Amino acid sequence: MEGNCRVLFLPDNRYIVVSRGDNLLRAAMDADVHINASCGGSGSCGKCRVVIEEGEVDREPNPKLTGADIAKGYAMACQTRVLSDLQVTVPLESRIGDKRIFERAEPTPAHGYLLAAADWEERLPEWVLDPPTRKVHLVLSEPTLDDNTSDAERIKRGLAVEAGLRDVVIDYPVLQRLPNMIRQSDWDITVTVLDSGDELRAVRIEQGDTTRRQSAIAIDVGTTTISAELIDLYTGEVTARASDYNAQVAFGEDVITRIIYATRGTGLAKLQSVVVGTIWNLIKNLVEQAGIEYCNITHVVVAGNTTITHLLLGLNPKYIREEPYIPSGTIFPWIKCSDIGLRIAAGVYLYAIPCVASYVGGDIVAGILASGVFNTDKMTLYIDIGTNGEMVLGNREWLLSCSCSAGPAFEGGGVKHGMRATGGAIEQVRIDKVGYEPMIITVGNRKPIGICGSGLIDLLSEMFLTGIMNEKGKINTDLPTDRVRDREGGAEYVLVWAEDSATRRDIVITEVDIDNLMRAKAAVYAGIEILLSSMDMDASMIDELLIAGAFGRYLEVDKAVTIGLLPDIGYDKIKFVGNGSLLGAHLAALSKEMLNKANEIARQMTYLELSMNPTFMDHYMSALFFPHTDLEAFPTVIEKLESVRSIQRMAAGTVAGEAEGS
Amino acid sequence: MAFNLPTETAKGKVREVELGAGDKAKKVGGENVLPFHLWEGDMPNKPLVAAEVSDEVGELIPALEKALGEVKNDPVAWARKAAEEWGADAIFLLLTSTDPKASNAAADAAAETVLKVEEAVSVPVIVYGTEDLDKDAELAKVIATKAEGKNLLIGPAKEENFKKVGAPAIGYKQTVAGMTPIDVNLAKQLNILLTNLGMEAERLVIDPTTGALGYGLEYTYSVMERLKIAGLMQDDAMTQMPMLANIGFQAWKTKEAKSSEDEYPEWGDPEKRGIMWETLTAVSLLLAGADILVLRHPESMRMVKQLIADLSG
Repeated sequence: MEGNCRVLFLPDNRYIVVSRGDNLLRAAMDADVHINASCGGSGSCGKCRVVIEEGEVDREPNPKLTGADIAKGYAMACQTRVLSDLQVTVPLESRIGDKRIFERAEPTPAHGYLLAAADWEERLPEWVLDPPTRKVHLVLSEPTLDDNTSDAERIKRGLAVEAGLRDVVIDYPVLQRLPNMIRQSDWDITVTVLDSGDELRAVRIEQGDTTRRQSAIAIDVGTTTISAELIDLYTGEVTARASDYNAQVAFGEDVITRIIYATRGTGLAKLQSVVVGTIWNLIKNLVEQAGIEYCNITHVVVAGNTTITHLLLGLNPKYIREEPYIPSGTIFPWIKCSDIGLRIAAGVYLYAIPCVASYVGGDIVAGILASGVFNTDKMTLYIDIGTNGEMVLGNREWLLSCSCSAGPAFEGGGVKHGMRATGGAIEQVRIDKVGYEPMIITVGNRKPIGICGSGLIDLLSEMFLTGIMNEKGKINTDLPTDRVRDREGGAEYVLVWAEDSATRRDIVITEVDIDNLMRAKAAVYAGIEILLSSMDMDASMIDELLIAGAFGRYLEVDKAVTIGLLPDIGYDKIKFVGNGSLLGAHLAALSKEMLNKANEIARQMTYLELSMNPTFMDHYMSALFFPHTDLEAFPTVIEKLESVRSIQRMAAGTVAGEAEGS
Repeated sequence: MAFNLPTETAKGKVREVELGAGDKAKKVGGENVLPFHLWEGDMPNKPLVAAEVSDEVGELIPALEKALGEVKNDPVAWARKAAEEWGADAIFLLLTSTDPKASNAAADAAAETVLKVEEAVSVPVIVYGTEDLDKDAELAKVIATKAEGKNLLIGPAKEENFKKVGAPAIGYKQTVAGMTPIDVNLAKQLNILLTNLGMEAERLVIDPTTGALGYGLEYTYSVMERLKIAGLMQDDAMTQMPMLANIGFQAWKTKEAKSSEDEYPEWGDPEKRGIMWETLTAVSLLLAGADILVLRHPESMRMVKQLIADLSG
């Protein structure tokens, strides 16, 4: 299945290089070739028929495709895999309404650049493998009547002489086990020492030399998802990865509902035990995957937003929610895992990446650490879009952060057919400029159930460019298609007809949905503008825009710019960080220097409270428009609009011409 | 060395919009300075004082009743008197009769009144509906069609009905006033929507919605000032439309303007009080950047016109 294939689409005369075995509909979407597809790639609507002129494909058997069809070269794009170089014709029936009569302009690459390992080296040059816990192998001299110092002092002396570790404090449980342990092991032992920054602490003692068996766990504790990595501290390599939904989701999808739950009765203890449960299962999974012993693990580093960190550590989050929004703490001490009910092994300590303020947490600090923003001369804007849009502006000189409540719209909340990015969620959308027919792809190529965040952004962008909705998000019901229609409470656009959907209902986007999404994007953009304007800067001064978070990963940058969610600063400046929170926790687990940097970042970052900002409303109102009231700030969107309008005018001209001719 | 007054010159300028057609045409806007900063640039067209004329009146405040006299039930005579005797630069014809919550007169009948008034006066005519979205859309269609070539200023077009008000205005070459609720961004957004619809920017007037003295005037003032600054200093094309301030309607519904002497003897003569309330509101908004001031009382019109003349040097 290896190798690349070149697929040429006619009559568009566009080609794309894909991997052998790739889905043909997805290839068409990536090549920006329109094929009607309304079932999301599940093979049920039978609309994406294409003709394979040359080359080899693998067709899934499908009742919509007869033997006679196949003989003529027909295939259903969504049920077809590319096996060789291809020449594919998209027949008229699959491009209804497509009356384009000239070549389209070359599309700008839609997908951004994801930071890779090589980038980290460049971004964090001072990074060295020097974890906060260290295993020291000691072969101690047996005590004699002349050398009759205590066991503990003997170990301390050994640590000082062998490893240069002075004034090590011996943890109480270690002291308890000490006398028998060292004698049983014939004075050959390994001591694990935790450097907490304030002191050195011997946290575990083992028989013999175990220095090669040392691992750490890095965890991103997200509001929705928890991701964990097992890292071999001897090699610095990640040996296992796992993630799962945060079981707290059952107690509320957003942090505010969880805070409310935590402040009632034993709610806090419940939420703590639930999240610890999820983490425990992940650790079990990691240990099994890697085939190690639990006692190899010497420390854990977690990064989460302020509320989630509170809930994990069992700190009362109540005052985070009430003005003036005060967290219990922002910098947390090393604590024993067992103190929060996480019983991995004796003497495993946990560190939570510090937070900045109630709504800018350790996940953001970790992201700033991992993306090297604190280390660069480039003016960087770091954005993590979720229920809260958190963002940081700055470079090595200063860092300014804020958080704006975007609401759950991008995660599918408050949107009639919105959903999370799970199987059957529409994740990519194109709409034909002339016939207004959609082309959609769902997660897992299943029958569509609803629309997820990236699909919603695609959809809004396409609806805006094609003129299905105007700058205010109002749907134009005068268009000659039955996909736009008036309903009680506002107009809507039908993305999937009931017969093609998994729910047997039309999947639509309504004006109310659009309104909620517009508010979410306006809140994010207003936050960006306030960060910039409070430094007397504008978007053109941003050298690099980093997008973090799982949602960001699937975001099509040009679509996000088209709707005015992100500033129009050139796609080459926009990069994806991936899970910045996990990466930051990972770095801190491997390097004391990085852990200290995280503390420094948290202490030095300035937090801007938007609810106090008198200009927020003004920025917000001007962002309640597609792409923005200040259209001049979006030059590429203006260009795109003009290009689409000219295609539409020419198509209208052709239709009029045809009508006259007949 | 001689003293030079420091000046701040603008990058942009307010669009010159023509109201009315033929001999009746008048221009508004065109300034490249903040109101009356004549040492920094030009105001080629003085702000217009428009007289509000209604096609149906209920019970009037005594001060207005006295000023209007017999013409109050005859919009044509009222308009003529305003233009000829009171010196109004334009007529603001409010089609009160069409309000669906009151008389709900037919659009055709209202259009007849518009044509008669337009015929009777030698100044431009501004026609406003009663802010009922559907009725105003219907009115715009009928009036724009019937008054083709007259270049009326038709309003108010709002975010919710701008297409239906704008389209006939585009087709029959009328000018449109877009109304938004006291917000810089919303005013600009409506202009973008209307121009994207195909309306020429030179045929648009901003009605930013105004409050009366003591009733949110500061807010109105600030919004109008910011719109003007955006147009002039930031050269923002979508805020460079002249602004209309509908003052009489707001000023005369305040307690201070309409209460009788019996209710508030310490406030003095109600006639003078009402006129001053309207005039002071107008003066404030003139300085905020209004290009068209809609007033009700002839005495207010006289004073405001006098002030404009004085300020224009």
